[in-house]
Amino acid sequence: MSATRVIPVFSAAFAIIYAIAVEANLAAITYHPKTGAWGWLTQEATDGPAMHWYGWLITALFGALIVSAVALPVTRTRQPVAWIGWAVPLATMVVFLYLLRSFFFY
Amino acid sequence: MTTIFLIIHGLVAVALLGGITHQAFAACWPANGSENIFSSFRAVRGASYTNSMIALYILSTILGGVIYPVYRLFGRTYLEAAQLWEINGSFEIKEQFIAVGLGMLPFYWLVWRKPLEEKLAGARAATTAILCFIVWYGFIVGHVLNNVRGVFGR
Repeated sequence: MSATRVIPVFSAAFAIIYAIAVEANLAAITYHPKTGAWGWLTQEATDGPAMHWYGWLITALFGALIVSAVALPVTRTRQPVAWIGWAVPLATMVVFLYLLRSFFFY
Repeated sequence: MTTIFLIIHGLVAVALLGGITHQAFAACWPANGSENIFSSFRAVRGASYTNSMIALYILSTILGGVIYPVYRLFGRTYLEAAQLWEINGSFEIKEQFIAVGLGMLPFYWLVWRKPLEEKLAGARAATTAILCFIVWYGFIVGHVLNNVRGVFGR
């Protein structure tokens, strides 16, 4: 069996880590669109707004890769259930609806 | 240049929307053999769509990411000034859903890998349906936002 067996873990971890990154604002990089400047980690807005979305994606990507690498030896003996690959992201989407409810109920 | 990227972003999204909808219907509601339009719509070989859908999803996300700063500087500023909170929130949801969908792409590839595994049929249907929903949601929100001044003109 190849390393593809860890893919459900990757997708689940990506969703969870992304949600944590958004909620805790853990961005690997920050973009300042008004000045066109990039910076490492989460930076506050200075001249114009600061964009963290790119940084959250990178945080989630590297976080999920690390989790997958750690889980890989475990999955040699215990195959992860497939449903976590879609159910965890789906649950994360519901969590985002809850977290962003203030835009709709104010 | 942003307008050109926006148009390409929209065209890529249309291709993605069509393909993933065919594939989702094929996975969730397989064709029954009759030749009417509803059955024909579902009678596609879903597995052959997978790599193209992944490429289009990534390309659409990259193009969206390229034009995002312009939206952040001018579009969102307008939405806040016009107090269009629901529209603003709809885009916030879009960006999070698109990101979650990106993380699902490897799993989506796995469940559609040939030869198709029968035990993954449920996961295949669920994953494709979720991605299809994300794409439709993103497409509609993007369209409304692009026309927000005309639609909501405040």
